[in-house]
Amino acid sequence: MREKINEKVSVVTVFSAKRRAAAPYVVSWQNKEYKVGEIGYHHTIKDGEVLHHIYELADKESTLWMRLNFDTSTMQWTLEAVSDGLAS
Amino acid sequence: MDLPVNYNRPLMMHIDLNSCFAIIEQQANPLIRHKPVAIAAYDTPRGAVIASSYEAKAKGIKLGLNVRDARLIDKNVIVLMPDPPKYRDAHKRFKKVLLNYTNEIRPKSIDEFEIDFSGSHAVQRDISLTDIGYQIKQDIKREIGSYVTVNIGIGPNRFLAKTAAGLHKPDGLDVINGDNLLEIYKRLELIDLCGINTRYQARLNVAGIHTPLDFLGAKAEYLQKQVFKSRVGLDWYLRLRGYEVDSRIFARKSYGHQYALGDKTTDRQKLSRLLMKLCEKTGRRLRANGYSAVGIHLWLNFANRQYWAKGKNTKSEMYATGDIYLQAQKLLNQAIIPTKVTNIGVTVFGLQTCSPEQQELFSGSRLDKKALARAADIVNDKYGEFTLVPATMAGMQDIILDRIAFGSIKNN
Repeated sequence: MREKINEKVSVVTVFSAKRRAAAPYVVSWQNKEYKVGEIGYHHTIKDGEVLHHIYELADKESTLWMRLNFDTSTMQWTLEAVSDGLAS
Repeated sequence: MDLPVNYNRPLMMHIDLNSCFAIIEQQANPLIRHKPVAIAAYDTPRGAVIASSYEAKAKGIKLGLNVRDARLIDKNVIVLMPDPPKYRDAHKRFKKVLLNYTNEIRPKSIDEFEIDFSGSHAVQRDISLTDIGYQIKQDIKREIGSYVTVNIGIGPNRFLAKTAAGLHKPDGLDVINGDNLLEIYKRLELIDLCGINTRYQARLNVAGIHTPLDFLGAKAEYLQKQVFKSRVGLDWYLRLRGYEVDSRIFARKSYGHQYALGDKTTDRQKLSRLLMKLCEKTGRRLRANGYSAVGIHLWLNFANRQYWAKGKNTKSEMYATGDIYLQAQKLLNQAIIPTKVTNIGVTVFGLQTCSPEQQELFSGSRLDKKALARAADIVNDKYGEFTLVPATMAGMQDIILDRIAFGSIKNN
């Protein structure tokens, strides 16, 4: 089931010089750390002039999907939604 | 006229992203892959399914079904609301991949492209289009995601390329040429041909045409004068043989928006508020592309399946949202509303480019509506959509959501 969260979260990111790309590596939410597994999709959206990076990813154990929003104007991460991959 | 089948080398390619919205969601969320997924306009029981994954289609969850029925078919179906910015991003990546091969690409919808390879480098170097097709499949996996698959069809014209793309779903690649055309038509029904719906099929049946082979065998004069009674018959005669008749690009003639009401109503005030938002969305796109309009059309659908529609040419040009709304509201005032309204739509037509611009009498003064509209657009561009809105639209942020139109898309 997909659930809206909209909470600020701590995220460790990694920048790969080879791939010229940065991506979340660990997400800390509700006192638990989730190592990032597959990043399913990454795209950007603009809200006015503010660029947001949207990452949709699964944790390493493939038990939780997260949608993260990185606001480039405030440099803050928001966990927008989570899902266990099951129907509601 | 008696033309043979076109035996020229097939150089038209049609690419179609399989179950587009659903597969992009499955790409984005690895936990829902290989599961029935339905994308619905709203995830409420009466929300309509607008796309479903192959797993959902296999269970009978198809387009147009509502969410409640989809859940009755399979209680484990995962229902998601659409995410238009993500699909537009995938469309851009899809296009970027294809532009590596040739500039002659034409988007047919958010998930379909036509590519004309005639004169391309690949053809000059005598590279097989089938090889290019397999390469494109790999490139799309790299650019959009490993779970994403496409159907590719290759044919001597757009029609046969699209027909080929539909032969083996998902992840197919088929070629239709002069040599296998009859064989392919033997396996198809009339309704399988792109552009033939049930009513066209009935018209063909009445004319004694029951299969694609009958259709192919019909004389041009018969199709033109007896069956279709217009030029359309000749187009079908050529199209079926692999000659190009669908290359014309139609310019944009209108801008519009429509909305399916979640809360169906007969309340004219509520309808006016919705109309204002539709006019604002229409106006934003109209102005962003440098147009004004001199015609407007308003339509309403009702719960009893009837509809009301009216259009008119406006004496003055419409540019600002207020101009559009004023004319739309005048039309709405004339509407007869017998029962609850289910859908409302507004379209402006008679587009005129704003450059060079006809100066208004009050240009530069506080009565200059164009300057005010432009200033409001600048604020919304900078701080986000609907930051500055007409008072009628206050508190409507979550009503009339961003959507992707079905069918043909234009760059603007």
